[in-house]
Amino acid sequence: MIGAILDRAKTSITKTQNLQELEDLRVSLLGKRGELTALLKGLGKLSKEQRPTMGEAINQAKTSIQTLLIDKKNHLELIVLEKRLLAERIDVSLPGRHAEMGGLHPITITLNRIQSLFAKNGFEVALGPEIEDDFHNFTALNIPEHHPARAMHDTFYFDKNTVLRTHTSPVQIRTLKKQRPPVRIIAPGRVYRCDSDITHTPMFHQVEGLIVDKHANFAQLKGLLIDFLRAYFEKEALKVRFRPSYFPFTEPSAEADIECVICSGKGCRVCKKTGWLEVLGCGIVHPNVLSSVNIDSEIYTGLAFGIGIERLAMLRYGVNDLRLFFENDSRFLRQFR
Amino acid sequence: MNILLSWLREWVNPNVTDEILTEQLTMAGLEVDGISPIAPAFKGVVVGYVVSCNQHPNADKLNLCQVDVGEAENLQIICGAKNIRSGLKVIVATVGAQLPDSLRIKKAKLRGVGSFGMICSESELGMADLSRGIAELEDDAPIGQDIRVYLDLDDCVIELDITPNRGDCFSVLGVAREVSAHYNLAFDLPKFEVFAQGDCAIGASVSNTQACPKYLIRTITDIDNTVKTPKWMADKLVRSGQQLYSPVVDITNFVLLELGQPMHAFDLSKLTGDIKVRMAKSGEQLELLNETTLKLKADTLVIADSNSVLAIAGVMGGMDTSTQNSSSNILLESAFFEPVSIAGKARSYGLHTESSLRFERGVDFKMTELAMDRATQLIIDICGGQASKVNNACIDKSTLPELKPITISQEKIQKVLGFELDAKWIEQKFINLGFEISQQTNNSWTIIPPSARFDIRIPVDLIEELARLYGYDRLPVQKLSLEANISTTSEANIDQYDIMKSLVNRGYQEVITYSFISEKYQNLISPDAKKIRLSNPISVDMSIMRSSLISGLLQTVESNQRRGHTDARFFEIGLCFDGIKADEQSNKLAAIVTGNRFDAQWSADLQPLDFFDIKADLESLLALTNAEFSFEAAQHTVLQKGQTAKIVLNSEQVGWIGALSPIVQKQLSLPKCYLFEIDLASMKSRNIAQYKALSVYQQSGRDIALVLDEAVPVAELIQSVKAMQQQYFVDVYLFDVYIGEGVELGKKSVALSLTYQSLEDTLTEVQLNAKVDEVLVLMQAQYSATLR
Repeated sequence: MIGAILDRAKTSITKTQNLQELEDLRVSLLGKRGELTALLKGLGKLSKEQRPTMGEAINQAKTSIQTLLIDKKNHLELIVLEKRLLAERIDVSLPGRHAEMGGLHPITITLNRIQSLFAKNGFEVALGPEIEDDFHNFTALNIPEHHPARAMHDTFYFDKNTVLRTHTSPVQIRTLKKQRPPVRIIAPGRVYRCDSDITHTPMFHQVEGLIVDKHANFAQLKGLLIDFLRAYFEKEALKVRFRPSYFPFTEPSAEADIECVICSGKGCRVCKKTGWLEVLGCGIVHPNVLSSVNIDSEIYTGLAFGIGIERLAMLRYGVNDLRLFFENDSRFLRQFR
Repeated sequence: MNILLSWLREWVNPNVTDEILTEQLTMAGLEVDGISPIAPAFKGVVVGYVVSCNQHPNADKLNLCQVDVGEAENLQIICGAKNIRSGLKVIVATVGAQLPDSLRIKKAKLRGVGSFGMICSESELGMADLSRGIAELEDDAPIGQDIRVYLDLDDCVIELDITPNRGDCFSVLGVAREVSAHYNLAFDLPKFEVFAQGDCAIGASVSNTQACPKYLIRTITDIDNTVKTPKWMADKLVRSGQQLYSPVVDITNFVLLELGQPMHAFDLSKLTGDIKVRMAKSGEQLELLNETTLKLKADTLVIADSNSVLAIAGVMGGMDTSTQNSSSNILLESAFFEPVSIAGKARSYGLHTESSLRFERGVDFKMTELAMDRATQLIIDICGGQASKVNNACIDKSTLPELKPITISQEKIQKVLGFELDAKWIEQKFINLGFEISQQTNNSWTIIPPSARFDIRIPVDLIEELARLYGYDRLPVQKLSLEANISTTSEANIDQYDIMKSLVNRGYQEVITYSFISEKYQNLISPDAKKIRLSNPISVDMSIMRSSLISGLLQTVESNQRRGHTDARFFEIGLCFDGIKADEQSNKLAAIVTGNRFDAQWSADLQPLDFFDIKADLESLLALTNAEFSFEAAQHTVLQKGQTAKIVLNSEQVGWIGALSPIVQKQLSLPKCYLFEIDLASMKSRNIAQYKALSVYQQSGRDIALVLDEAVPVAELIQSVKAMQQQYFVDVYLFDVYIGEGVELGKKSVALSLTYQSLEDTLTEVQLNAKVDEVLVLMQAQYSATLR
């Protein structure tokens, strides 16, 4: 009898098409009203000897049916899942839900790169006002009234004593007024000159660098700037040369040229056929500048440099028109994302 | 400053090519900006003599010439120039000659007659842009000589960019001294012999010897100034960029270029009484050589006679007393004007002259006599005449620049340059530069700088000279000695870069706009702000310093709209100006959005951006600070009424947020924009995290819906719940705001979710209800809010 029940159950389970039918079948086979349950209930009527044998047979059948049911259930669930997956299939080649990314201005990108390169050498960032007084912009930097260098600066004036800073060098003075050596700063920022044509914008950016230390010297200044330029252009063997120049606030003063990164020094339109590009000015801080902030130039030596940011950005990214930086044309700016 | 290389080589002639010489100048600090050959390359061109010149048998406008070029036979050449005639010395390109622009001269047949060469104009040889006919050479030009030799064409002009400290290099002499110092070549000042007779008939007095420490004059009489300036001098002048005038004027210009001493020659017959070097009197006028008439200022040093002003000292002479071809008696002036007294004077009259340039930078005050003799000698050689003795009208040693001894030690050189220079080498270079070594020890030197070098005053000036001559490129390279302190930046600091990056991640593009804006924009955006006006702006559109970044952003949106870029999120960080003092300049951050939330795409509909988009972006930035910012309804001139809030931190306003006012929008033809601006100082720092214990017990929550007056700002409601500082309180958040059916008109329903938790226990229903009741009571009391 148990064998017949088991056979019928097997047949029914095989025939079952879906999970609901299977559940109904489970209830009818193993539920309270199921045949096996009825048999189990009838065990009490059997003799003591028959009871264990019959009990075990019933339980075995129950286990077999349970196993069959579970297997069938797993099978049916898999079919359901397959169906669902088929229904939920998507075109994975479609683009993701898109929120546009923004970007930084190429000048900011360049400034940040320069700052992080110098930060590794222990330079802190210092900032100063853009409307400056005559003292910080000129006098304290050893550019007294009537100095010929003043005429070269094309200064924007508010009144006789107030200007838009023509360089970031006044930050040297402001820093040294409140911080004693050793000093190691860079001062990025906007500067202004009253000049506007194809190669000049009335506003542009510089990074000023300043070291004041007992053991600073010109050889270290050269080493630092060569390392910087090679790191900035990511060219280990970039040729750098130093030429004497003149800035009222440094003595000795120098300008640094790099081998033209456009033509690799062969001579092109950008380097005016010289193979060299002027990229920065530098020098040993003039004793008059140190004494204007009460630092003894017999004990301390100052190293200073000034870098034109637009120039470096143009060379790095191949931008051929300075004015593009301040037109804020989205088509231009997006290229730096 | 333009220098003719052959002229320089007359003074000092190192055995190197022009290329190496100019490279050396650049590397010594006299930057060569350009090298221009006198004439382009060509060959096979010689001096010819037109033996005969007859009309071409078959052409009216052509001539048939027989030309002697020093060969056995004359050349037959056909020439169409109007000025061709027999007896003329001309430039002949012979058959086979290579001319500029790859032009090659071949035998030719013109209208049936053979032509064996070409008679040239200057433009055909690339020496002039335009020519009026063929070039006519001097009668004594040697027939057959290569024209490059005859005209000295194998020469070039170098353009030097002289730095302001090197006034001494504004002359052939000065540059020659530099070159000699580099190549260790001997260099002696020349002497000029002058036969002078009789005292100078003109007296002179200097009233301001501070400005004019040295003033020398002499007369030269019975000269012939109608002669032609000799070719050797004319060539040098013209090739150096000088115009030719009359011999005397040309000679003073020649001395200026050669020795760097500006001079002036007055027509003696036009002078009245003695010379007075004095300050101008207000109201005095002077017609200058350039035919402009100036009203003189009282701070200007002038040369005058007893009648009137003759010249602005060190700048330019007057027209009336200038030397003309007809002048036969002249007064020659050689002076030293002190740089600071001359500085800026020319510019203040809108002038810039060769003379003012040199006096402003400093002229060698020991050159005055030498230049006087040089000019006198040249005038007598070229124009004849009789020179008087020099009237040393003023030589005030007390006001001449002081040449103080300067001491430099090997130790100091080592300290500044980072290495030691050879003592012998140092001495040699000091001597080459004309420095007088007045004292020396084993490792130190005391020198007296030459009178031409106004830039040598302190020890480091000497170090620069040595470094320059040694070659900056050869100086050693070292690593920085690390004596910097460890960074003291606080963890609480918010890096500006993080703020920028956070905006970039939310889709914003950074822009950089000019710090000066038009008055129109300033009036529109910040009508009440102080107008900080440039006194010399580039244009009226760039004349006022911005007090807000909004104008730049509006203009950026406007210009990008014009280019068809309609969706935009822009931001800028930059200084804004409330005044000219340092503490009135502070950084602001402003952002603007316009267009759709997302660009067109398959997965989302186009939805216009609104106030809460930009507010979310701002809130994400403010979250960097973890400070409590609040937004309060407010009004702003460029923002839309009812969609504007001020940003408040610690009861101080730190910024604005809102929709662009429709009025401004129309005025500037802009689309709907939303923007904010905030003082960057309000986002300077954050609190450093402090751990609070975590509860192991369950969190209990309760949602409540309150009905209250529509006008009550929800933020205030939430703030007052937080302000209760209830025991067990964890958080409150807003999950719905509803206005409409089921809620009384003028009221709104606000749904809040409150959460509580205890560190010691799971809260009971009773405890929770008590907490929620406290909130309801407060809501009722403060906002008449009822439970919905």
